[in-house]
Amino acid sequence: MGDAAAKAEKKQERLEKARAKLEKRLEKLENAGKFKAWRSRRPFWGATFSVLAGLLILYIPIQLYAIAFVPGSFAFIGLLFGGLVLILGVLSYIFPQFSTVLGVITMFLSILSIMGALGGFLLGTLFGLIGGALCIGWEEHVIAPDANGPDQMNRPDKGEKAKTNPIDTSEVASSSSSS
Amino acid sequence: METGKPIGRTVKKKFMAALCAGLLALGGMVTVFGMTGTAFALPLGGMGDFYVQFDKLEGSGFQLLPQVGETGDSDASPMVRNKIEEATVYNLHIYKDLKLPTGKWIRINIKGTEPTKIKGLIQDARFIEANLQFNNLGIHEQNTNDYTKNWTQTADTVTITNAKIVTDYLFQTMVNLQGAKISIESIDQPETTESP
Repeated sequence: MGDAAAKAEKKQERLEKARAKLEKRLEKLENAGKFKAWRSRRPFWGATFSVLAGLLILYIPIQLYAIAFVPGSFAFIGLLFGGLVLILGVLSYIFPQFSTVLGVITMFLSILSIMGALGGFLLGTLFGLIGGALCIGWEEHVIAPDANGPDQMNRPDKGEKAKTNPIDTSEVASSSSSS
Repeated sequence: METGKPIGRTVKKKFMAALCAGLLALGGMVTVFGMTGTAFALPLGGMGDFYVQFDKLEGSGFQLLPQVGETGDSDASPMVRNKIEEATVYNLHIYKDLKLPTGKWIRINIKGTEPTKIKGLIQDARFIEANLQFNNLGIHEQNTNDYTKNWTQTADTVTITNAKIVTDYLFQTMVNLQGAKISIESIDQPETTESP
């Protein structure tokens, strides 16, 4: 029983730390520009790496445009993989709630792009792996304005659209201080 | 209704687990290709010339056809299309000069230290310098306006030695490159060979 209590305490501590970190970030975002606020609500770096990976993977098939459209040509497959990775990167910006699925597919296609596009001289594959992993690791949390404990820090429902208004942390700060 | 403020963060554990899984999958794929030495070849061309050099090629099911194709300098250049069903190449050296976005030129070298086995080879050559030996060579002519069918040259087997082939299109259905060495070097100018 003692172990379980200690574990629960540790877990709570971890959650509190994570919450404190997020609150700090929210406070910083209060005075930040629109771009920073937009960036904080989506897997920005994951999506950026994915877009870069898509462009790198596309580089070789585009150089071979003269034959890339020959049926059965592997360069055509490279064009397809590169284009898909690029689209997935852009989709990660638009639909952050699907970041895990988009990340998994990005990683899968980046590895396959070795066939037909040499994985953008392997750099494209590596960027795709990093971008995909960042998308998978990304989570969106909602900090309730009247939050008073770690349990109030929850991931929103998958289908729930993130708020696009600049984040106001004053309520969080006041509720924290009043508690 | 909860009106929370959304904020994203990257969970390190999830990120590392996904990255490790991805790198493992990549390593697995490279290992499989490396162990079998098998690869699905990338067709190359459309940007400068692509050079193929080898000491000896033994092939079967040879076919030579006239071809007009696009090169890095021209929309329609006269070429010959070589088709070989199965071929074994000794001391193969393929190199391709590429221009980087920075303006510098690099050469990608692929060398096969062991005999390279190829199936379904299609190659559009602009210039061939080699010693050729055919078995059961036949030339067929057809009265047609289609230049690709106007004449064809076929042979049961072909042996090519000391070859240097300038090509603008290369496609292999399957290539087994045992002991392949791939290297990239920086060069001042790309190699150019004008058709005689």
